[in-house]
Amino acid sequence: MFGSRSGWDDEGVLPPDSWGRGTSRLPWGFAFVVVLLVVGRLTLTPHLTSPALRTWATVFVAVCVQALPFLVFGVALSAAITAFVPASFWTRALPRRPAAAVPVAGLAGAVLPGCECASVPVASGLMARGVTPAAALAFLLASPAINPVVLVATAVAFPGQPMMVVCRFGASLAVAVLTGWLWLRYGRREWLRVPSHAHGEGGRLARYGEAMRHDLLHAGGFLVVGALAAATLNVAVPREWLDAVGGVPWLAVPVMAVLAVLLSICSEADAFVAASMTAFPATAKLAFLVVGPMVDLKLIALQAGTFGRAFTVRFVPVTFALAVLVSVLFGGLLL
Amino acid sequence: MSRVTQSLVLALLGGAVLWISGFSTSYLNYVKPGFRPFLVGAGIVLVVLGVAGLFIRRKHDHAHGHGVAWLLCLPVFAILLVAPPALGSFAAARSQAPALPRQDPGSFAPLAGGGPVDMPVGEFIGRAWDDDRKSLTGRVVRLTGFVVPARRGEWYVTRMQIACCAADAFALKVLVRGLKAPPRDSWVEVTGTWVPHTFGRMPNGLVYPELAGTGLARVPAPAEPYE
Repeated sequence: MFGSRSGWDDEGVLPPDSWGRGTSRLPWGFAFVVVLLVVGRLTLTPHLTSPALRTWATVFVAVCVQALPFLVFGVALSAAITAFVPASFWTRALPRRPAAAVPVAGLAGAVLPGCECASVPVASGLMARGVTPAAALAFLLASPAINPVVLVATAVAFPGQPMMVVCRFGASLAVAVLTGWLWLRYGRREWLRVPSHAHGEGGRLARYGEAMRHDLLHAGGFLVVGALAAATLNVAVPREWLDAVGGVPWLAVPVMAVLAVLLSICSEADAFVAASMTAFPATAKLAFLVVGPMVDLKLIALQAGTFGRAFTVRFVPVTFALAVLVSVLFGGLLL
Repeated sequence: MSRVTQSLVLALLGGAVLWISGFSTSYLNYVKPGFRPFLVGAGIVLVVLGVAGLFIRRKHDHAHGHGVAWLLCLPVFAILLVAPPALGSFAAARSQAPALPRQDPGSFAPLAGGGPVDMPVGEFIGRAWDDDRKSLTGRVVRLTGFVVPARRGEWYVTRMQIACCAADAFALKVLVRGLKAPPRDSWVEVTGTWVPHTFGRMPNGLVYPELAGTGLARVPAPAEPYE
């Protein structure tokens, strides 16, 4: 390779050997982006005024901007877990038997006040630190749904219906634990890409910064994919279709569940959206609240980016099916 | 994607987030006002990580497999090129149902004062549907919102309400009677009195509370476009 110093550090008169390749290449791609931005701003902006395009762009930017602080928070927490919390802590904090660790990790989700964008990097950091994947997955599914912020938002959105909060908590935790146990029983290690942050050079702080950079670049890119999809559906699907469907009982639950996936609303806001869908029965709204924080477009993109495709194609359908079934069960019994 | 490029992309995104939250109020088109400190914080973290990455070199740089990080430029393109405004009549016309959670009928305070009462559109709708004491009856109120055309030359004075971000927005609409419709999407202050509904139970389908308009003034769009 280039020895201990990269090309730019060479003080020779001639350009270094690595010029034009390797790590010290000039950032032409980025320069091109900047040129596009400046030229586009001067020439295109006056023409980009179609209401549909502007509405789409508003929703797209809104999803990105809303999720970004949570992603940064999650990534910072995840990097802190890998850089500062010794692996031995987790072996002491969680029960030794994996089957018992799953529900404990699920319940631990109740203390992380973030939405789903934060939980993916945190779960990945837990796995990198040796927490059994099944327990980390239970935490991943439970934490966006059952943390205090989300439960309070749910209580505010459904005034006078405390059972909605109870059902959301119970059903979400049940799905998270069941999925964790399923993974324990049938999951295979090779499906799951467990990231290794542990290696690296420099002090703890440098490693911390590197882990954050890595996760932000990666997860952030996939977050944008999800935001693109969510904005497009938000603008493209006519809402009248929903009203027509809401009246048909056996159709209402699956439709609301699919809608939760497509709309990709933050778990802190989804209760307000569910409450506004007045045409739908309570069980369908519960399905919306249980599915949304566990399976949605931006989450699928984030998971595929973090844990790999082989994992996501198995994990997502199982979680979705379980979430719908458990919601119907809880809704039928309690709502 | 080289390390330098990664750093520049992070700094660019952070700069854009700082730009809309720290140095202007356009973030209000996308999220709630209380979200500003989090946006500023996230923007600063991104800029710091990006700038630090430019100066701190690593011996073994494995800058591979981050092609997806290019997508982080897309929000910057949207912010700079489209400069997305607050949701307007296009979104409002597509928003379904008069979608407010039912409010407690006893929770409405009596309206004070004698002159026109300034009121959020959402409060007007709440009082129109849910107030047992019918506090709106005979009172002159003033609503601020943008114009969404309705059928037969009538129009709605409209405000979007967001719970978290613009992706979950829904429209609060009040049908205005007796005033000629201003241009679509223009912001107005409309004065008038509530037209009590004649039905006892809420009918199925979409119904909006109505206002018999008496006065109309064009106003600039407010900094906080959502309720």
